[in-house]
Parts: sequence; structure tokens; C-alpha cells
Amino acid sequence: MASVWVVAPVDRSGALHPASLELCTKARSLTEDVAVVAVGPGAAEAAGPLGDHGARRVWVWDDTAAHDHPGSAAAVVADLVAEHRPSLLLLPMTYDMRDVAGRLQARLGSTLMSNATDLLDLDRARTEIFGGTKIVDVALEGPEPRIVLVRPRSFEAEPVGGTAEVVECSSDLPELARAVRVSGRRAEAAAAAKLEDARVVIAGGRGLGGPEGFALLEELAGAIGTAAVGASRAAVDAGWVPYSLQIGQTGKTVKPDVYLAVGISGALQHVVGMKGAKRIVAINKDAEAPIMRMADLGVVGDLFEIVPRLTEEIRRRTAS
Amino acid sequence: MLRAARPIGPLDRPGARLRRELVQVLGQRKLFQKPIPGLMHALIFWGFVVLLPTIAEAAVAIVDPRARLPLLGDAPWFALAVDLFATGVVVGVAIALWIRKVQRPDRFRGSHLREADLILAWILGIVGTLLAWNATRIALGLAPHESSMPVSGALARLAGSAAEVPAAERALVWSHLLLVLGFLAYLPGSKHLHIITAAPNVLLSKTRPSGALQPLRIDLDAPEDEIRFGAGVATDLSRSQILDLFTCTECGRCQEVCPAWATGKPLSPKLLIMDLRDHVAAQAPAIGGGGDAGTVELQPLVPAAVEDEVVWDCVTCGACVQECPVDIEHVDTIVDLRRYLVMAESRFPPEAAPMLRGIEGPSENPWGQPAAERTAWAEGLEVRVLAPGDPPPEWLYWVGCAGAFDERARATTRSVARLLTASGVDWAILGPRERCTGDPARRLGHEFLFQNLAERNVETLGQAGVTKVVASCAHCFNTLANEYPDYGARLEVVHHTELLARLIAEGRLRPSRGAVGAVTYHDACYLGRHNGRYEAPREVLGTVATRTAEMPRSRERSFCCGAGGARMWMEEGGTARINDTRLAEAAATGADVVAVACPYCLVMLDDAARARGSGAPRVADVAVLLEEATRPA
Amino acid sequence: MDVVVFAKYVPTPEGTPELGPDHLLVRDGGDGALDPGDTYGLELGLRLVEAHGGEVTVVSMGPAGAIAAVQRALAMGAHRGVLVTDPALRGADALATARVLAACLRRRPADLVLAGIESTDGYTGTVPVTVAELLGIPSVTAVRAVEVVDGALRVERQTEEGADEVACPLPALLTVTAGATEPRFPSLKGIMGAKQKPVETLALADLGIDVEDVRPTQRVVAVADAPPPAGGEIVDAEVGIARIADLLVEAKVL
Repeated sequence: MASVWVVAPVDRSGALHPASLELCTKARSLTEDVAVVAVGPGAAEAAGPLGDHGARRVWVWDDTAAHDHPGSAAAVVADLVAEHRPSLLLLPMTYDMRDVAGRLQARLGSTLMSNATDLLDLDRARTEIFGGTKIVDVALEGPEPRIVLVRPRSFEAEPVGGTAEVVECSSDLPELARAVRVSGRRAEAAAAAKLEDARVVIAGGRGLGGPEGFALLEELAGAIGTAAVGASRAAVDAGWVPYSLQIGQTGKTVKPDVYLAVGISGALQHVVGMKGAKRIVAINKDAEAPIMRMADLGVVGDLFEIVPRLTEEIRRRTAS
Repeated sequence: MLRAARPIGPLDRPGARLRRELVQVLGQRKLFQKPIPGLMHALIFWGFVVLLPTIAEAAVAIVDPRARLPLLGDAPWFALAVDLFATGVVVGVAIALWIRKVQRPDRFRGSHLREADLILAWILGIVGTLLAWNATRIALGLAPHESSMPVSGALARLAGSAAEVPAAERALVWSHLLLVLGFLAYLPGSKHLHIITAAPNVLLSKTRPSGALQPLRIDLDAPEDEIRFGAGVATDLSRSQILDLFTCTECGRCQEVCPAWATGKPLSPKLLIMDLRDHVAAQAPAIGGGGDAGTVELQPLVPAAVEDEVVWDCVTCGACVQECPVDIEHVDTIVDLRRYLVMAESRFPPEAAPMLRGIEGPSENPWGQPAAERTAWAEGLEVRVLAPGDPPPEWLYWVGCAGAFDERARATTRSVARLLTASGVDWAILGPRERCTGDPARRLGHEFLFQNLAERNVETLGQAGVTKVVASCAHCFNTLANEYPDYGARLEVVHHTELLARLIAEGRLRPSRGAVGAVTYHDACYLGRHNGRYEAPREVLGTVATRTAEMPRSRERSFCCGAGGARMWMEEGGTARINDTRLAEAAATGADVVAVACPYCLVMLDDAARARGSGAPRVADVAVLLEEATRPA
Repeated sequence: MDVVVFAKYVPTPEGTPELGPDHLLVRDGGDGALDPGDTYGLELGLRLVEAHGGEVTVVSMGPAGAIAAVQRALAMGAHRGVLVTDPALRGADALATARVLAACLRRRPADLVLAGIESTDGYTGTVPVTVAELLGIPSVTAVRAVEVVDGALRVERQTEEGADEVACPLPALLTVTAGATEPRFPSLKGIMGAKQKPVETLALADLGIDVEDVRPTQRVVAVADAPPPAGGEIVDAEVGIARIADLLVEAKVL
């Protein structure tokens, strides 16, 4: 039977990337023979939930080297793949896993598809292009295993109540994989995440009335977790937030998954910096504001009422 | 120094230049833009013109106290003129001292004040000795026309017997002549050199509309050393630009009206000219203007003479040029400095780069918006989009990028469109075939990008067979009307307010008066000062407003919104914002509405109004107000 | 220090992208330009050679028209250009592209290779690391800042949690995030000078690559229109709060 593998990263705090479970669930719909390579310190504990989501076997590389040498997991996975020859290798599309996949491709000489949103078969995947306006099905050819990077949250994770066989792998990393070494770390609060890289951008404008208004946005960003706070030129000109937060013609250009414009009228100067956002949500007291015309969802009302309530609603949903 | 500078071409329009010379130099027209300082200067200037022959008179008298000049020496009217005009000079100097010592206007900040005092004292010495000398001549019976010299005569009577000493007469004539000769010797190194350079400088200043920059005509296939990128070092300045520098009297009228200076930015047109002048003078040996050539290396004008920020602060509003009594062309020189920085060094405020990329890119507009969206404003309206090969309309409506893409400016565009249709005008737009005129690129200094767009726009307009163009952006209007002829355009270009005023006059639009309350009109620099269009927007507003109020600074003295000179695409420093400053002035008139005639002004002043919050006047284009007053009830 | 910067010629984001009858993106004809995502690495490379000496070579693979991307990079200050163009590369996938680029580097090795983090048209984001692995040189992705210290690199790497300081020996390959630097706008002097700079145009044969090694391993078999977005909707505060939360869930960010 064809074997489908999932590479499951464990982060520095020992948490399994949630997309790993989603990919296990999907893999099970393609084959019964689902295996996982869990990489990172704490990987051993991850074997439980992975088994619960359908993994029959979990190779555990419980080693800080996974973080100390970014992308080094490729060497471990490559060795296992060479030995066990799976048909398909699924990885969540994250910074680190993209590196792992790229390195694996060089070693395995097999095809690699990025940005997949669905798997249709062992050799067929789906993606969206042109800003999500076209759905494209792609046949994967060439030597196995085919490598597919899948966008997180493409599937629901469904537990099936199994237990995986756990196999420890202690792999001596080749010199090349150890060449790059992390010498220091800096955690940045979610709100301070680089605007350009944030998946959700919450931008405030003149409607916020002052720096206090931005505190509300910071709180909302904190609740969402993957959000960064930005601003329109008007808010920057007013001195409420620094220029580094300015989005627009003379500021930064952002293309987040969700753009939340709060108290922003939508002057062209601002619009050109955020028009690439996948979804635009506007909160404004003026239903006629230009931003409402371009928003996928426009909420008319008092932002000082809406934003705190939204923060609460999100906390409630993420808590459950 | 002048020899090393860039030569200037033959002078066009000699008649116009001569007329300007008469009005501006002899008539002192621009000096009288400020009445009291104007009077002060005119008294001194006319005084010295009349008194010139007295130098010869004194020279002759040195040799023989009884000798007289031919013709003038015997004319009683000349004696009277000398007496009165010399007194006028004394009055002029007194006014000058009052201005400088009592009034102390801020425009003198940064000027050489002690030198000015010295010069005034010198002038007073020259005229004082002249009057005193004439008094002694009267007392000694040497003056032929005692009755024609009331002031000197009075002085003689006042001095009594002291005036009758022949040695006093000798001493005064000698000191008068020495003061005059000393002054002439002092002149070349002083800021008072303008008495020689002002007349030629006025003669050489451009006859083109002030909004029309001089093209560089860049040919990329030419050998590199033949391509000029603007002004990088002193020798890149033209002779006329160098003459500008040495004509400045540091009067500071430009500084007083400069929006950048008024809002706490480092740019002052006066200080810029002074800094360039001092730099060029210091570089003279390197330029080959005498001294020990080779010991001084040519330094870059920016930042050796002028800081980067100063160059970028300019809104190109032209208020400085308008005020300058000696026709210094600050703006053109600033753009020349920018040209070098942008095209040779790619050195400019980084936030302006997206604008250049947008204009340069396939979408060819400063915001990088898709060309296909140029007609988005027309949704729901019947607008003819001119396809290649279509018969040309009577009027081509040049919408402009702001009018096509900016949500606020689109309101203006829609109003213009509906008004044109309502009055039965045959009109059309180019739609996606329209591109940026290149104005922001040109004012930022990217002449090549501008040239490229100008050539292609002129070609598109030519192919479309268009002869009459109406533009609703003051910048597009200026570029199309004044700058595109350099690239072969032969168009009649009007601003939308002009066409609308015409349609009202012809009875094709019938607005109802009083529909929009009290209005104050903000003159756009590129419609007003640079192009002299002051009346049409006011005529239109007069037909719709209950009351119109003028701001203290209006018409040719209007104060910029802050967006010109590509400042629309840059961040603003300083202690205050130009748009806020202007909006405050507009609000102070008590008007309900600030009417504008340019999308840049609209965006800037509307931003300021929003910042001001509730109670701020509404900002709207003249066309929008007219349409509101014209809607069928 | 000799630096190679990868430069991709991409359809301009302003234009409407199109798929041909073969389901491949139409890459010739139409408007194209240097991928803006590549200009950050280029800027970083230019600054490094300005500080440490050496040259920047820009390497591109694409249709003949991709020379425009190379020219733009040269106008910005790169010293020489290489364009690999070959009919057999039409529809090349990530692996084929990586093999070609690696071959260019074997032919002319560099101390440092810089690339964008992902292209703005395909956003695959794996080609550079594959190249590094093929060459056997270390690589660091998502770089925000670089320093050369004692002949090695000290870089700041963007991570999901913040930033890492990473030590990396030379030669190496880095991918550079958007916004890491402010790419320069080419001066007119630069544009004029670009015409005089050496540009090599290579075919697969020049690189000793067999057509078999670049045969695409991915094939588009179906294209469908995505269901149109629900379209703008205006709601009041009561409905709005729940709807925003729903939308965040749909967008998979909660």
C-alpha cells in the first residue's frame, strides 16, 4: 500500500504545529499507511496526538538541533525517506518547513508543490492562483515521494482515536546541515511582528482619535495572535503612532490574509498600500466612506464600542 | 565666472522683455507689491537715477568750483530735481531705517543686517554731502539757481555763516565724490550689486509662463558627457542662474511668503540663493573665474551649498518668484538641483519612490493603479471613451490620475462630466489611454521620465485628432498648456472652471444662486499664480454662493496647499503642516465651504479639514458646488 | 566579495495575468518586469559590495523578454548579467529552475548568493534553498539584515515568533524578506550605464544540462474559476462583530 508521510514540526515551546494534525487527517483519506516524522525538542510527546489523528507510526527526532540549525530536519527526513520510500510527503507551509521541503527536493530529485490547498490523490493536488480567483489542479509526476507544502488550515483536524508506534531516530547531522547556527533569539510580541509579514493587519486611522484608540487595536491584535497593527498617514501625521506603522503610498505595502481598517476613510494614499489584501474588513461610522466600497465586509458603527466587543468575541472563540 | 557657466540661448520676445524692463525696473512694479518698502525703494532708486549727473558735476567742481556741466548745469529744473530727489533719497533711507530698526520684519532673518546698515549709512552720506555741498555753494554764491533749490537753500540759511566758509565747500565736494567712488569700489563684493545686475537679470528672466520649466531634452543615445542631468556643481548653473545669485539683495520678500519657511522647514528661498551665491563665489577659482585655479575643487552644490532637505521642501508654488523684485527664479533652480540628485544620483526622499515606480511602470500613474480602472468613476454615467480611430470630440476631457483614482477627486470628475453633458457639450475621455502628464516626476526632478510621458501623451493626443482639451487638475492643465508645446502639442487647453464659466455665460448652465452658502476660494498655485487664472472660478462661485469671502492671501498672493512640487508624495517635516495652515486661514473667513479647483488642493485641504474635526468648513471643488446648484429642483 | 543575485521576470502585477491553452502562465508578450521581491536582495548585495568590494552578478532564467529584468537590475547597479533562456525551459518547475540556477553558479561560483523570499507570481518560495542544497552550500531564509564579520555572515532571520541571530559561513545563500532594505530607484546614469554592462545569454547546452533534467514534473490538468467572493456587504455593529469573527475563522487566521 502507498505510504503517505507528514512532516510535523514542534516549535521551541514544544508545541506541535496544529497543521500537522490537519495533514494527518487528510493523509488518512488517501491511504491507511500514514506515518509522521516529528521534528524538534518535545517531539516525543507529540506522538500521542499524532497517533490520535491517524498516524500509524511516528518517527521522533527529539533534538534541539531542529531549531539551532534551521532546515536541518531535511537531512533526517531524507535518510528516512531513502530507507522507507513513501509515495507522498506532506509538510505544512511554514517558513521552516518550506526550507525543509526545498532541501529535500534537492536531495531526492522529486517534484515539490507549494501552496497546496487540497490533495485530490497521491499524485494530484489543488491550489489557488491569481489572488484566489482560479482553482488549479496539478498532476504530480517524476520520482516518488512527491513533496507537497500545504497551507495550514486547509483541512479540519479530526481525531480517530489511534495510537502510533513511536520510533526514535538519532541522526548525526551532516556537516552542511550544521553549518548554519542560531546564536541568539529575539521574541517579538505578535503586535510588533513585521507589518509586511503579518497574516492579519489591523490598521487605525483618524477615527481612532488618539493614541488611546490604538491601544484598543493592540489589544485586538493580541487576541488574534497573528495580527500586526498599522496606521493610515492621517494617524501618523497626527503623531499618534510612529511612521514605521504607516501603510500606504508613502509607507509600507501589505498583503495580509485579512485587513481590518478601523476608523480609516480610505484615501487613495492609504488604499494603494493595502489593496493586495485577500479580505478587507472596515469598521467606520460613515457608511459612505470610500473604504466601504472596497471592503468585503463593512461594519457601520462606533468603533469604540465594536472593537472591544470584537476582542472579547475572539477571546471567547479561541478559548473554546 | 559667468564665462564658465552654461550659456543661455538667444532671447525670445524682445518686445515683451523691453516692456517688462520698463515696468519692473523703472516702474518698480514688483517692489510696490509691498507699498511702504516699495515707496522707500522707489525714492532711493529714482533719486539715484536723477542724481547720476551730479557725480560728473562734482567731478568738474573738484577742478574748478565755478565750472558747470553743459546743458544740465544751466537748467533750473535740473537743480530743482536734484534738490527734491536727493531729499527723497533721505526720506527713503529714513523709511528703510524705520523698517529695519523699528518694524524689524522677520523676512530679514538670515540676511546681512550690518552690511545693510552700512550701505544705508553710505547712501545717506552720499546724499547728505551732496545737499550740504549745494548749501555751501548757495551760501558762497556758486550756485546759479538758488531759487530752484529749496532744501539746500534752507540748509544754507540754517547753517548761517558756517556755510560761507570756502574750505567747507571744498571739503564737502571732496568727501561727496570720495564716498561715491568708494561706494562704487565696494559694490562688486556686496549684496548691493543689484544696482548693476538687477536690470540685466530682469531682462534675462524667462518670458514663458512661470509654471513652464525649461526642458532638458535628454537623448540617451548621445555621448554621456553631453547629457545634462541638471545642476550638480557650480558650472552646471546657467549664466542667468548665476546672475540671479548675485542680484539678490537679501530683502527676504520670498522668505516671507514661502510656505515651507512659514511652517518651520529649513527652506528659505532667500537663504537658498544666498548659500548658492556664497558657494559659487568660493568656487570661483575652480570655475576659472580668476584667482589661483586648480587649488579649489568643484564641490557638489548639494550638500556643499544647500542641504538635501532644503531642496526637497519646495512646493514649487512660485510665491517667491512672484514676490522677487529682481526676478530671481528660485523654483527653476531648485528643480535643476533636484534633477541632478534624482537622475545622476538617485538621491531623493525614499517615500517618493513608489510614485516614480508607478509613473514609470505599466500603469503609468503615480499610484500604480491599473490603467483599466481609469474609467471606474464613470460607472453609471454616459461617458464616451475615445477608442483609436474614433472621430474626435470638440472637447477632450483630460481627467488626470487623481481625478480618475482618488475617491474624493472622482466626485469632481463626475460633476464635471454631468455638467458637460447637461450643457450639451460634445466631449469624450481617453480612458485607459490617458497617462500621467509627468508633472510629479518633473517637479521631483525626473526630467527623463517626464519627457518620455510628454512625448507619448502628445502622440496619443495627436493621433486622437484632439484640438481642445479641458483639464480639471491644475497640474495637468499647466503641463498640457505650458509644457507640452515644447514636445509638439498644438492644443487649446482650458481649465474646467473656465469652460464652466463660459457655459454659464452662454446660458447653457443655469445654476441657482445661494445654493451653497458662504464660500471662500483657494487659488491653486498652478492655476492662479503660475497661469493667471483667477476670475473663472470666482465667476462660477459668484453664481452659486450666498456670499463669497476672500482669504487674506489670495490670487497671486495665494498660499499653497502643500502638495505641489511632488510634495504630495513626500512626508512633511517642520513645526506645522502647510495644509493645516491654509485651512485655518480659510476657516477664519467664516465661510461654510472652501472651494478648490485642483484635486491636490482638494485632498490636502480636505485632510486638514478632517484633522480639524467637527466645525471645519467643507472642502469641495468648484464643479461639485456648481453641480449642486444646477441640479433640477 | 562576489555576489550573485537571482532575478525573476514576472508579469506585472498591474496587468491581468492569463493562462494559455496549455494551462501555463503566459510569460512572453505582455508587460513584465523585475520581480519587486528580488530587489531587496539586490539592494542588500549592492550595499555589501559597496562596503567590501567585489561585483554583483544578476542571474535570471526566463523567456527572451526577461532581459528586461536583467537590465533593470543592471540599472540599479549590478555589474554583470546572465540570462538563461531556452525553449525547453518553458513551464519549468521549481526543481528544473533550481538545477539551471545551480549550474550557473557552478560555472561562475560566488561568495554569496541572494534571492527574494518568494516570487510575486508563483510564490513557491523553495527554489533558492534547493539551489543551495544542490551546490552543497549553507543557506538561511527570511533574512532581514546581514553583516560580514571575520569572513563569515551574521544575519538576522525573521521567524514566526520574532527574529533569530544566525551565524553562517561563506560561501552561502540567503533569501531576503521584503522590506529588509529600501531598494534604490535606478538613476538615469544607471540606466544608461546598464547598456554597456556585460550580459551573457545562455541556453541549456551552454550549461551542460540535459533536456531530460528539466522536464516539468508538474502539469496543470484542470483550471476552474473560484466561486466569486460574496462581494461587499455593509452591516451594523450588532451583526458585524460576529461576522468579523466568522471571517477571521474562514480566513484561517484564528
